Amino acid sequence: MITTDLLALLPIITLTGVILVVMMVIAFARNLALTCLCCSIGLALTLAAIAWVSINLEPQYVTPLIVVDEYALLFSSIIVIGAFFICLLAYSYHADRGENQDEYLMLMLLSTLGGIILAHSAHFASFILGLELVGVSLYAMISYPVRGFFSLEAALKYLILSGVSSATLLFGIAFLFAVTGSLSFQGMADATAHMEHASVFVLIGATFVLAGIAFKLSLAPFHMWTPDVYEGAPAPTTAFLATVSKGGIFAVLLRFFVSFDGFRFEAILESLFWVALLSILVGNILALMQDKIKRVLAYSSIAHIGYLLVGFLAASAVGGKQLAIEASMFFLIAYFVTTIGAFGVVTIMSGSTESEHDTDQLSQYEGLFWRRPLLATFFSAMLLSLAGIPLTVGFIGKFYIFAAGVQSGLWQLLAAVVVGSGIGLYYYLRIIFSMTKQPVSEDEIDIPLAGGWALGMVSVLLVVLGVYPTPVVEWVTSVARALT
Amino acid sequence: MNEAIVIPMEHGLLLAGILFLIGLLGVLVRRNIILILMSLEIMLNACGLAFIVAGAHWGVADGQIMFMLILSIAAAEVSVGLGLLLQAHRRFGSLDVDQASRMQG
Repeated sequence: MITTDLLALLPIITLTGVILVVMMVIAFARNLALTCLCCSIGLALTLAAIAWVSINLEPQYVTPLIVVDEYALLFSSIIVIGAFFICLLAYSYHADRGENQDEYLMLMLLSTLGGIILAHSAHFASFILGLELVGVSLYAMISYPVRGFFSLEAALKYLILSGVSSATLLFGIAFLFAVTGSLSFQGMADATAHMEHASVFVLIGATFVLAGIAFKLSLAPFHMWTPDVYEGAPAPTTAFLATVSKGGIFAVLLRFFVSFDGFRFEAILESLFWVALLSILVGNILALMQDKIKRVLAYSSIAHIGYLLVGFLAASAVGGKQLAIEASMFFLIAYFVTTIGAFGVVTIMSGSTESEHDTDQLSQYEGLFWRRPLLATFFSAMLLSLAGIPLTVGFIGKFYIFAAGVQSGLWQLLAAVVVGSGIGLYYYLRIIFSMTKQPVSEDEIDIPLAGGWALGMVSVLLVVLGVYPTPVVEWVTSVARALT
Repeated sequence: MNEAIVIPMEHGLLLAGILFLIGLLGVLVRRNIILILMSLEIMLNACGLAFIVAGAHWGVADGQIMFMLILSIAAAEVSVGLGLLLQAHRRFGSLDVDQASRMQG
């Protein structure tokens, strides 16, 4: 390995170093504030390393496993920024929950490292490594509350189903490997370049791989685990699971499809079309029947990944590729901001509760506007952004997806997006409406300092990106141009 | 000098596929968490076998390396799983997944 290789790996090396430091700090002093400080500084350093690499180095392969380019750096930076906010929120959540909460933040950093490796991977070995690093740390993060029943149940469900999906994914990769004799994305693309129609082995392999990925992204019909795991896991974990883990996996999916050119196989497109359609409809319709905020958000995240897949599918049309990739990336950024914000509110509401359940009953949010006006305003902004109301980042994201879909002529899917957004408006507004009712309980809601600031920053980001998205749009445009 | 018997790749993949199905059925049918974890292990090993068969067909070492990767992944996953299993036994008093299921859906 030469020096530039090591320099290109600087973000990964930095984060690994930070994890080791945090581990040592926990061994010497069990102090959650100190651990959180180390983690935040570490994530900031990682972000600085990403910026440095992006400015100073040319895109390059570091071993066949890892590619360092603008695309990888974009996804790494949104993953690191997301992890930073969740780190602050997690501190507020865990601060008053007794001893031994320190390792939670370390596990979160490990999972973030997995996400960054996913964003950089150009080979199935690094893909699997990143995926499992995200997954195995998440099992522990989900079951972290030692006394709760529900978190344990959620962790067991996630462990078993995630294990099955990993096995499915690996089995699919083995088939693709059997056909092509290569495990790198580029090698597979070269070996199948002459194929007009996919051979049986390629189809079996691709189906298994897509089923595994669809499970991890909680797309219908592989979404069964989502509401239970979202409900049972502690709120910061849920935020992390919904953003960092899904973002990293989507990064690999997009990179693999663009370099493999999976868009030329009709059968694969057809199945992805149905998956997207089902996810949008199932997610939105089932969300109507929920009265727990976390379950509503779980189903709405299924629908949102469905919207994201519409943008992804738009890349299949000739000439629409760049816009579609741009749209997917922007939508993912919007999804990150909004989801972290929404679960951030749940985190802060649950911060002072004694029960093993997080505060997520709709009735517990009644009258929030009278009890905590600012918190309720933030939450309303997040929900409006999820619904795609103008002046929020969610609107720009959805608009972008729509534009990409129109350019590629995906009319049925666009109709589903419209119907889904219409249904979505109902259950988002229902939450906002119940927050304006007269309060039933007068319990004091404490807003912790770190979590409050994190939530404030996310809200500001949501509005700023919704009003003035140009810098981010330029950024994703240049990345999409470099990728295609 | 007798010729080495070459097993066609398809046969190996078929075997791996059958093992994979056995594991999957086990995960779906079994109610005991330990047996579910064992079935999961069978699924992961079926993938490992498929990699080795494919690697042997192409004469590259990638398949065997992936197998080692899978082994370590399976070990990590199962060790966390066993940790959760101990907790589950302590809290639910049984290893039956149906008794551990309290949330709707």
